[in-house]
Amino acid sequence: MSAIAAVRTSRTVLALGVAARALAWGATASAAMLVAGAIADIMTPIPLGARIALAATATLAGVASAVAVTWRSRRVVSLPRVALWIEERFPSLQFALVTEVEGLRVWPSVATPASSADWTRMSRTRAIRGLGAPLAALASVSLMLAILPAGAVARVGAPRAGDALDRAASRPSGASRLAPLVASVTPPVYSGVRGSITDEPTSIETLVGSEVVLRGRGDARGIVAVVGSDTVPARRAGDRWSIGFSVTARATAVRLVDRGFARIVAIEPVTDLEPSVTLLRPVHDSVLRAGTGRIPLVAEAADDYGIDSAAFEYIVSSGEGETFKFRSGTLKPTRPPAQTRRLALDASLFLDSLALRPGDIVHLRAIARDGNVVTGPGIGASETRALRIARAGEYDSVSVEAAGPASEDKSVVSERMLIMLAEALEKRRPSLQRPVVVGESRTIAADQTRLRKTVGEVIFTRLGGESVEESATEDVPTKAKSMEELLRRADSATNISNDPLDFGGGESPVVAVNKPLLEAYNAMWEASTQLELGEPGKALPHMRRALAAIQKARQAERLYLRGRPPRLVIDVNKARLQGKDKGASGARLPRLPADSALRARAERFGRIIDLVAGDPAAAVDSLLLLRVDALGNQPAFAAALGDAADALRRGQGARATDALSRARRALSGPIVARDSLGRWGVAPP
Amino acid sequence: MSEFVFATAQYESGDWDSAPLVPANIVDTIARYTSIPVAPTGVVVPLSDERMLRFPLLYLTGHLPVRFSAVERRNVQRFVDRGGLLFVDDHNHDIDGTFHKTATEEITRTVGPLRELRNDHPLYTAFFRFPDGPPATSHELNGWGDNLVHKHLLAVERRGRIAVLYSNKDYSSEWNYHPDSKRFLSVDNTRFAVNIVLYALTA
Repeated sequence: MSAIAAVRTSRTVLALGVAARALAWGATASAAMLVAGAIADIMTPIPLGARIALAATATLAGVASAVAVTWRSRRVVSLPRVALWIEERFPSLQFALVTEVEGLRVWPSVATPASSADWTRMSRTRAIRGLGAPLAALASVSLMLAILPAGAVARVGAPRAGDALDRAASRPSGASRLAPLVASVTPPVYSGVRGSITDEPTSIETLVGSEVVLRGRGDARGIVAVVGSDTVPARRAGDRWSIGFSVTARATAVRLVDRGFARIVAIEPVTDLEPSVTLLRPVHDSVLRAGTGRIPLVAEAADDYGIDSAAFEYIVSSGEGETFKFRSGTLKPTRPPAQTRRLALDASLFLDSLALRPGDIVHLRAIARDGNVVTGPGIGASETRALRIARAGEYDSVSVEAAGPASEDKSVVSERMLIMLAEALEKRRPSLQRPVVVGESRTIAADQTRLRKTVGEVIFTRLGGESVEESATEDVPTKAKSMEELLRRADSATNISNDPLDFGGGESPVVAVNKPLLEAYNAMWEASTQLELGEPGKALPHMRRALAAIQKARQAERLYLRGRPPRLVIDVNKARLQGKDKGASGARLPRLPADSALRARAERFGRIIDLVAGDPAAAVDSLLLLRVDALGNQPAFAAALGDAADALRRGQGARATDALSRARRALSGPIVARDSLGRWGVAPP
Repeated sequence: MSEFVFATAQYESGDWDSAPLVPANIVDTIARYTSIPVAPTGVVVPLSDERMLRFPLLYLTGHLPVRFSAVERRNVQRFVDRGGLLFVDDHNHDIDGTFHKTATEEITRTVGPLRELRNDHPLYTAFFRFPDGPPATSHELNGWGDNLVHKHLLAVERRGRIAVLYSNKDYSSEWNYHPDSKRFLSVDNTRFAVNIVLYALTA
C-alpha cells in the first residue's frame, strides 16, 4: 500500500466517525426535545397545533445538530489535513508524508506497510472515541423515552387530531370521565366528504345524516348521552367508552352525563341544499303563431355535494275557463358521474311532436336532483317559461298590412248630428213655409231611419240572430207598442225564454245587455215618426232620449282584462242590517315583527352573564344551549356564543369577554345613531 | 284596530283570477256572521310584492301550474315565518291535475311538506262547528274533477299553527257566486270561510 492510499484509508475511517457522531448528536437533540415536550404535555396539555410545531422543531433541531457537527469536522475530507493529522501523531515522518500527499516526490518513500497500519488503527481509535459522548447522551434520552408513557411520546412525536385520549395524566378516581373527549364524525357516503376527528369538541358542525361517535377514557358504566328525547348509554371499547348517534336536521345539544358530571356538545346540522337550476334558454315567455318548429333548451345546474340526475320538464295545458287538460313529460334525462357539482344541460323541444293547438300553453323548466339519500333527494327547479300558441284571430290587429285609414261611412249620420239638424230646423221654423219645413224634416227622418236600422242590426246580431234587412221583412220591424213587447220580441229571437223578465227581480243577460240599445231603437222610431210628420220640435225629446240610451249602452261595454277582476263592493252595514258603508278599503299597516322571543332570549343571555363569574362550567353549558336555540335564526349571535363557550372552557377570559360583547351586539342589533337627545335629555327608546 | 282585508294572491305562472267572486262572497259572509271590521272589497296582491306581508290571510287558487318565481318564493317564506296563513284551493278539484301536482310541490319546496289536517283541528271549531271536518262541496258530491270526496284538508304547520292550508275540495267553484244569491241557499255554504278567516286572525 502506498502512503497516499494509507492516508486515504485513514480519511475514510475518520469521515465515517464524523458522520456517525453527527447522526448520534442529531438523534439525541431530537429525542431530547421530544422528551421535554412529552413531560410538558403530561404536566399541562399542549394544544394540537403547538405539538405539531414542537415535532417539526425537534426534527429541525436534530438536523441542525448533525449539520453543526459535520461542519465542525469538515476538514476531514481534505487529504493534506489528514496527512498533517498523521504527521502530528508520527513526528518521525518529518513532513515527508505531507510532502508526498501534496505531489512532491521524496526519496526514499515514507510509506511502508507497517506504518500505514498504525495510521489506520489510530484513525479508528479516534473515530470510536469521538462517538462515546453522543452515544451516551442518546442512550440517556432513549432511556427517558422508554420510561415515558407511549401515548405521551406519540402525542408529541406524531401529533394528530383525536389523540387527546392518548395523553398520559394522572386522574383522581372520582374525576369526570367526560374529559378528555374526542368526537369522530363520518359524513354520509353520498357527500364524498372525508371524516374528521376533533379533540374536546364544544360544537360539531356536520351534514345531516352524519354518524358522530364521542369517545372518552375510563369505564363505560354510568355514562349516558341525552340526545333530544333519547338517552343513549355508553359502550365499552377496551379501557375507553364511546357513544354514537346520527345527526338529524334539527340543532341539538347533546348532554353527556357521568354521575354528577355533565358536559354539553352542540350539534349543528348542515343541510344539504337542493340543486340550483337556471334555465338559460328560452329566455322569456313567448306567444307563438303556430305550434311548429324547434325550441332550443339550455340550462345549468349546480349543487353543493353532487348532482344525481337532471332533465327538462314540460307540461302542456289545453283548454280554457273551467275545462283544462294536461299532458306532461321530460326531455333528455341526464345522469352525470358521482359528485358532479356543476352540470350543463341542453336539449331541443320539437313542437310538432306535441301536436299543439291554438290556445295551448307549454310550461317548460329544468330540474335537477342531488344524491342526498338521507333527507332527500333535494330537487331543484328553474324558473318556468310559458310558450303559448296564439288563438285564431289573435293576430288580427297586428297582421293588417299598412294602409291608409278607411274612409268613414258618410251615409250614416250620428244621433248627435241629427239632433243638431233638428234643433236648427226648429229654430228656423217660424221663418219657413210649412212645405219647406216638412221637406227638410223628412230628410232628417230618412237619416234617423237609417241610423235606427244600424242600431237594429247591432241588436239582432248580439242576440245571436242574423242581421236582418228591415225593408226585406214583413213583420220586422213593426213598431213595438211598449218596451216589454220589444224585449219580448228580442228575446224570442234568441229562443232563450218566453219571458225575458223571468229572473224575478233580476235581469236576464239578454235584457241587461240590450236594454239601452232597445231603448234607443224605440226612441228613434218615435223620433222618425214625428219627423215624417214635419214636427222636429216634438221629435227632439225622443232623439235626445235615444242619444242618452246609446251613451248608456256604450258605457255598458266593459272589457275585463286579466288581472283586473270585477270589483264587487259589499255593503258591509247592509249585510249586518245596519245601513250603508263608504265602500272603500282602509289602508293596511305593516304588522310589527314579534319581538317576544328576542326579549326572552336577551333575558336568558343576561342570566348567563351573571352566571359566568360564579359558575363558569354552568355558564358554558347554558351558552351552548342558548347557541343551539339561536342557530336557526340568529347565526351571528350563535357564532359569538360558541366562541364565548369555547374560550370559557379553555379559561381564556379576555377572549371570552370579547366574544360575549360580540354576542351582546348581535343580539341588540346595530347601534342606533341619534343626532341629539330628546327634549328632556333622555335618549328615546 | 285595522279592518280585515281579504287578499287574493296573484302569482306569475297561472290563472290566479279564476274565481273572481269568491273575495266578495267571503267579505259578505264575514260581515253577515261576525262583528270583525272588514273592508267591503277584497284586494289583489302580487306575491312578488312585499306588500303581501301586510295581510294575515292570502287566498290562492287556479287551474294552471303553480310555479313561484324566486321573489314569490322568498316572500311566501317570509309570509309564513311572520305568522301569515296561505289558503290554497285547487280549482280543478283533481288530485291528478296539474294544479295539485305543481302547487303541492311548490308548497313543499317553499314552506314544507303538506300533511293531512285532522278533522278535530281547532280550525273546524274556530267559529262554526264542523264536527266532520271540512264541509263537502257540490263539486265533490257531483263527482266532478277527481270524483272523490276528500275527507281531509292538507296543511303545513309551523309552531303549532297552520301556515299553509291546502284544499282539493274546490271551494273556489263552490263560493264563486254573487253574495246576493245566498238567499237561495238553505244553508250558507260559505260558512267555513269564516272559520278560515277567524283562524288566520286569532290562532
